[in-house]
Amino acid sequence: MSTELWIAVIACAIGTLLMRVVPFLWMQRRLNSDTGINNMPQWLGILGPLMIAAVLGVSIMPVNPSAIAWIATAIGLSVTLAVWSRLRSLGWPVAAGVAVFGLVQIAAHI
Amino acid sequence: MSQPARHTPIRSTVKGVREAIPLLGGYIPVSLSFGLVATQAGFSTWEAAAISALVYAGASQFLFVGMVAAGSPLWLVVAMTLLINVRHVVYGPNLASWLPPSRHWPWLMHGLTDQVFALALTRLPQLSAPERFSWFMGASLLAWGVWIVGTVVGATAGETLTARWPLLGEVMPFALPALFLTMVAPRFTDKRWALAMGCTILSALLFTLYGWSNVAIPLAAACGALCFYIVKFQAGGRTL
Repeated sequence: MSTELWIAVIACAIGTLLMRVVPFLWMQRRLNSDTGINNMPQWLGILGPLMIAAVLGVSIMPVNPSAIAWIATAIGLSVTLAVWSRLRSLGWPVAAGVAVFGLVQIAAHI
Repeated sequence: MSQPARHTPIRSTVKGVREAIPLLGGYIPVSLSFGLVATQAGFSTWEAAAISALVYAGASQFLFVGMVAAGSPLWLVVAMTLLINVRHVVYGPNLASWLPPSRHWPWLMHGLTDQVFALALTRLPQLSAPERFSWFMGASLLAWGVWIVGTVVGATAGETLTARWPLLGEVMPFALPALFLTMVAPRFTDKRWALAMGCTILSALLFTLYGWSNVAIPLAAACGALCFYIVKFQAGGRTL
């Protein structure tokens, strides 16, 4: 890589790091100030869970979209939800969902 | 009953590592792909690894490499890369109340990706205060390390791996939607949240389907927030 390209990489790295760390430190300082924890803006508390929902929406898209992939996704998510509703944990529902998703994909390719 | 005396930093770090393992289902295939794409675009293995280690933001790395390979002006490459990563500014403030002050945050927050944020926002409130710093360190460092190693493996053997196990790259990423589903599911007990969440998920999926994946997360979250506030306005203003 040329020097200019390295500078571009460093600029992207520093810019991205600042976007991650500065708002965090700013909010921590604000929360630890005399006025207390209620300083957290309400819209931020709402945006957090919605960001997770958005990441879910983006990740639902199969790597190679096809009818089989969408069916496998629907079945996999249903199984994940069913196991989660019984266990209320993170690990087993994910393992069960991935296993069923994989089985449907493999069965379709046989 | 939780016993604070039993929480050691090592135990909490291991807990963070263990709970971040489902994230790897998404990280491994994507980092392998990035390593492969970067080398095909003319970057060496170690240059690709350096980009993964320093920038550490999936979608923007692909954009960076693609734009450089296409000969775009470097100022535009930097501007577009940073623009895609702007969504990260709302992640830190959401975690601020759950994490203790520390001099290590300026470098540790480098690990605050979409997936680590989602996992942390879900798990930190359930952990005791002494566990949280080490838990975050374990979870974020595992994800970062795997991302770099995946890039190196993808750059050196990506083509061989994808040729030998073509289904692996399709099955493993399903760990991400499965994990995020278990994170958002508890919110669906409240009608207002359920509507906002459903709107967000659907719009994010639609944006991705129509090729807007780079801006899908902030746009979909904005749609969900709008839905959240509109429902409140209608319920308070008039009965539907």
